[in-house]
Amino acid sequence: MLIAIVGSAALVLAWWIVTGPAALVAPLYLPPPAEVLATFGRMAREPYLGSTLWAHVYASLSIVLLGWLLAGAVGLPLGVAMAWWPRLRWIVFPLFQLVRPVPPLAWIPLAIIWLGIGDGARVSVVFIAALVPWLMNSMQAVYSVDALLVSAARTLGASNRQILVRVVGRTALPTLVAGARIALGNAWTTLIAAELLAASAGLGYVALNASRTLETGVLLVAMGVIGLLGVLMSAAMRVATRVLAPWSTKGGASA
Amino acid sequence: MAKPRGVVTTAGPTAPAAVNAPPKMELRGIAKTFSTRNGPVEALGRCDLAVRKGEFVTVVGPSGCGKSTLMTIAAGLDDPSEGEVLVDGAPAGRAGPRRSVVFQKFALFPSETVAQNIEFGLTVAGLPRPEREARLVEQLAIMNLEQFRNAYPHELSGGMQQRVAIARALVVRPEILLMDEPFGALDAQTRSVLQEEVSRLRRVMDYTVLFITHSVEEAVYLGDRVVVMSRRPGRIKKEIAVARDAAWRGGEIEAASDHADFNDARREVWELVREEIVRQ
Amino acid sequence: MPALAWGAGTLAALLAVWLVATSVTGLVPARVLPSPVAIVQRAVALVAAPFSGATLEGHALASLTRWAIGVACAIVVGIPFGILLAWLPPVRVAVGPVFELLRFIPPFAWVPIAVLWFGASTTTQALVVFIAAFPACVINAQLGVSQVDPILQRAAQVLGAGSLTTLRRVVVPVAAPSAFTGVRIAVSNGWMALVGAELIVGKQGLGFLISQGQNNDSVATIFVGIIAIGVLGAAIDVMLQRLQARLLPWTPALAQAR
Repeated sequence: MLIAIVGSAALVLAWWIVTGPAALVAPLYLPPPAEVLATFGRMAREPYLGSTLWAHVYASLSIVLLGWLLAGAVGLPLGVAMAWWPRLRWIVFPLFQLVRPVPPLAWIPLAIIWLGIGDGARVSVVFIAALVPWLMNSMQAVYSVDALLVSAARTLGASNRQILVRVVGRTALPTLVAGARIALGNAWTTLIAAELLAASAGLGYVALNASRTLETGVLLVAMGVIGLLGVLMSAAMRVATRVLAPWSTKGGASA
Repeated sequence: MAKPRGVVTTAGPTAPAAVNAPPKMELRGIAKTFSTRNGPVEALGRCDLAVRKGEFVTVVGPSGCGKSTLMTIAAGLDDPSEGEVLVDGAPAGRAGPRRSVVFQKFALFPSETVAQNIEFGLTVAGLPRPEREARLVEQLAIMNLEQFRNAYPHELSGGMQQRVAIARALVVRPEILLMDEPFGALDAQTRSVLQEEVSRLRRVMDYTVLFITHSVEEAVYLGDRVVVMSRRPGRIKKEIAVARDAAWRGGEIEAASDHADFNDARREVWELVREEIVRQ
Repeated sequence: MPALAWGAGTLAALLAVWLVATSVTGLVPARVLPSPVAIVQRAVALVAAPFSGATLEGHALASLTRWAIGVACAIVVGIPFGILLAWLPPVRVAVGPVFELLRFIPPFAWVPIAVLWFGASTTTQALVVFIAAFPACVINAQLGVSQVDPILQRAAQVLGAGSLTTLRRVVVPVAAPSAFTGVRIAVSNGWMALVGAELIVGKQGLGFLISQGQNNDSVATIFVGIIAIGVLGAAIDVMLQRLQARLLPWTPALAQAR
């Protein structure tokens, strides 16, 4: 944590040197830190392209969270069901494997034709992007539960439903949370791209417009906020993991 | 070891079951064939085994003879290809707490504490909290686990984990306790300690037990009746009776070999098993 | 095998439903969902004659070229970087945090600034691919090196090997499977990023093809593009899997990327 702060401070310092005293790069390509900071302040107070910075943040976050939660609502139960009932898996999995190699973004033009340039298109694409990790990890999570534990629960008198909830559910929880985290990462990445293509508000939209109008400062602010939100979401998921599954000794790979 | 406080699972010590009562558990004509990729595999030939109430029956045999399959069927976790499993004379049905199981690999739920693991069968049966707590505390005391009640399985040694597993299987007051090579995954010293503990427990509480093992010594040390199985397809070869209240019961397992009756029984069982291993 | 039967059966059934709903009964208008027949016809047409600048293979080739450039750069820079991060603690302390921070900016977020710097050119696309592929290379290479059993290094030391030799002959081969898995992930990430980048800014390529399909209201074109992308992506991954089995036979069975 401390190292990260020191590292970023060093980065900012290098940035300032390159754009200020050394004047290595023209302000068009990389404005100095002070200017970017001022731009940030300005965007926070006054609307840019129709909304203040916070409104854009809200627009982006709301779509991402909606798509992510919908994907979870579908992917989690479906993944668990597919792991529990082989026949369902035989039916659904081949379909899934066919669709998986297609990048979620590639569905945008189709989504635009079907749903128009509105929230619907973006939510659908984010949904697709997040569905894959939710589904795969849920399936994997149930698979990785030792069959012996299920037997043990049976000999103690647990019903099928009780086994599913208390044994499988709890043992699989760390993997499920990991899946949720990856899904959120995918969703965020896809959202930004979707906003570059089909949006009228949001951070991606801001970035694209700023690049067209050559307002590099605004662009950098948008990128910075995007990165920052990514960090925050990742941290939030890590906290969630520790709260929901305190018994998982190793938290697994970091974000 | 603390003595249990007045709550006994079966009716008093060594009161022999009425002669006409059916055995507690009976495996009648059990056989099992698995269909594998390479064709059908006969794991168990026809087996008939009866366990009377209050008996401690040990089953021993060469590797691969199907004793674990026998256990799985007895527990109701799998169906036999032929024959039936009866408890108190009636068909036993699916697995449940009447026949609770202690597994070789402990099978503790990793996401639950020791207390939650032990309570599991009670929680699942919907027992009200005060009574659950009372039984839990009692069982913790019997197995010397009080100070570990809030620990997670991965924080405990193998021996402790198996103790928790035994406590979990006992707290539901099973009519018969099934133990599938429970000490196979433990080191030699822990194994001896736990064997002695089970033997001592047995003297005080009148459990009905079916115990699978590959160790002849363990089978004779613990069992009133040692059942020897043949090699695959497993059949019951012979049953050897061992005096229930022999002098060496409950004592150190090393000391048992100072007694002639123990050594005789052990030799007899070992000869039977060796025949099966060597037989082509 | 029942699984195969059910799977194939389901796909066949869906295909049949699709056919019926579109070309046979005309229930679903072609504008919303073209029939499979129309898609095949469109694919053939695209191979025969150029559309928006190139034939189907032309677009595919353009995409693959940019993708290959970006991925190659990511591998050549990323793997040594990852190895360094794990092997030399000072490097990790100095540069690691910067890397971690920049990683949180999704590749597509770099598109606007790349366009600003380089215009809507191949460089922009390749850069986006590079950014998408870079982290996986670095992380997996780093992980691979850091997970090499220290006892192997000690064994080399005892036999008189210097630090560089140990790195070259002991550590790198043992870390190679993990690095290769990283390459597989990177390659796939790169492919996805490329398609997106072409959708946003581009004058050629499969992503561009799709967006042109959208502009011309030709849903069949879009589908052809999507299928081509999916097929190529899957083919690349399968080839890499085979390559890994040939080049690195000592890969432990843990090489399950997805």
